[in-house]
Amino acid sequence: MLHFIITRFVSLVPILFGISAVTFFLIRLVPGDPVIAFLGLEADENAIATLRRQLSLDQPLLVQYFAWLGRILSGDFGRSIQGGREVLPLLLGALGPTAILSLSALALSLMISIPAGVIAATRRNSWADYTVSLAALFGLSMPSFWLGVLLILTFSITLPIFPSSGYVSPLADPVAHLRHLVLPALTLGAALAAATMRMTRATMLEVLRADYIRTARAKGLPSRTVVWGHALGNARIPIVTLLGIQFGQLLGGVVITETVFSWPGIGKLTVDAIFARDYPVVQGAVLLTATMFVLINLVTDLIYTVLDPRLRLS
Amino acid sequence: MKADPGVGALPIGPPRGVAGLFRALAADPRSAAGLALVCSAIIAAAFAPVIAPSDPDTPDFINVLAPPSLIHLFGTDELGRDVLSRIIYGARASLFVGCLSVAAAAVIGTLLGLAAGTMGRLTDALIMRAMDVIFAFPSILLALAITAVLGPSLTNAVLAIVVVNVPVFARLVRAQTMVVSRLEFVEAKRALGFGEGHIVFRTILPNILPPVIVQGSLLFASAIITESYLSFLGLGVQPPTPTWGNMLRNAIGFLELAPWLAWFSGSAIFLTVLGSNLLGDGLRDRFDPRD
Repeated sequence: MLHFIITRFVSLVPILFGISAVTFFLIRLVPGDPVIAFLGLEADENAIATLRRQLSLDQPLLVQYFAWLGRILSGDFGRSIQGGREVLPLLLGALGPTAILSLSALALSLMISIPAGVIAATRRNSWADYTVSLAALFGLSMPSFWLGVLLILTFSITLPIFPSSGYVSPLADPVAHLRHLVLPALTLGAALAAATMRMTRATMLEVLRADYIRTARAKGLPSRTVVWGHALGNARIPIVTLLGIQFGQLLGGVVITETVFSWPGIGKLTVDAIFARDYPVVQGAVLLTATMFVLINLVTDLIYTVLDPRLRLS
Repeated sequence: MKADPGVGALPIGPPRGVAGLFRALAADPRSAAGLALVCSAIIAAAFAPVIAPSDPDTPDFINVLAPPSLIHLFGTDELGRDVLSRIIYGARASLFVGCLSVAAAAVIGTLLGLAAGTMGRLTDALIMRAMDVIFAFPSILLALAITAVLGPSLTNAVLAIVVVNVPVFARLVRAQTMVVSRLEFVEAKRALGFGEGHIVFRTILPNILPPVIVQGSLLFASAIITESYLSFLGLGVQPPTPTWGNMLRNAIGFLELAPWLAWFSGSAIFLTVLGSNLLGDGLRDRFDPRD
């Protein structure tokens, strides 16, 4: 297992290099001089030359890349053009709200999708199955920002139950925090729930046909034990795989949801930075998000090799 | 391109001919519903000047934010423009971006996948590691970053969607190529002395097209959503050109006064994506009944 973990970590190195290179060179495509963008058009020529030297912008592109990478690895993500604050604390500050939103969406989607998928599979071709399948199809086809808007229309404007935007720290006021969290978590969790529902249903249908399930039933085990214990236990590998992929995708989904609900996470920070043309923040946010995405995929790999040792051998 | 006789050797295979495929899809209620939704959007886009009740950009300051009525079936927006007409014209940008980006990604991804699958280990490693890097970014984030850097426009939205979708096709085609290139009829072609170009483009390619088409139909839905995300965030097609995404972005400012703006523009995206998903599922069932 240790060998497997080390191999997977080593295989990440070129990917992380690639991510850093794409992020670095993508931002270099921006027209204009980043130093003038930072210091302003009226800046003193000496100050421009000094900053250019500090940022290695007077060096060849490849040297610039490695100098930038060195700074990133030492935790220096640069300074925001807007206000001059350091980028890393900005990113870390936004990570908390994003983590809260993502984990809540994931939890919400699991609470809905797993029971719904199991019920649909055990009652195949019943109204329950059709309802779950239709809900999953609708969930997959509904753009999350539209769902967010519909939820705001229904639960903030027509029935003013939940606030339509904003964020309250859970430490400051836990109840207000939860009220602000409900609609964004529902929005983000819906698409996730739809895909998980489909996968749970399909996998359960396959597992329920297996011989050992027939044996378990023949032994007289209660249906509940067979379905929720034996069958779901074996259906968890593809479900966990999908969840891992989707949790990574949540990092993309938060961009839209956080913007719709003004949730101060890393997605909103990225979009705000894009409009402010604050490229150090855009660069840092893209790099951090992509790195987290890769690491989450790695953790998923490790989890399902723990769940199914055959995968380690293959 | 005519498929090689070796097609019959594969376990997968499309229904015979385009007409046969349409008949098969029409016979399945879900696929027929998907086909009807997608065709409605295509007809709206193609015949917008004929179908739309009025010009999508002409303001009518007397009828600002008018609710749905017999004169304006979907109401009007904050400039008094007819929402139905804007939705019909909006289909053009959304479908154009969806079709063009998926087609371009399919062509580039297929060529890269074929090269990776047939041109040896070094080429394979170089291409697939590059694809892995693109895959390492959440797709919407990469699309956002590309449009943010290149500037918001229709062309850059297409480019962003192409970049995020190329690896999907490249991986799929590489995997299929590896399987097909080891089959006996391909080996037979090699033994008969056919050139590598002939084998790749005349023998392997026609045999790997069905899953590429299915993937394309499913990615078409995701491309429409990505375009609407970009437009919604203000990074896609710019106003006054109507797109469903920028109409929904605009609707946010008038949720209390004119909720129909959000209802109708969002419904247009939802129904088209729903149709594409249904059609994609139907195509997958037809091309690969094992799935």
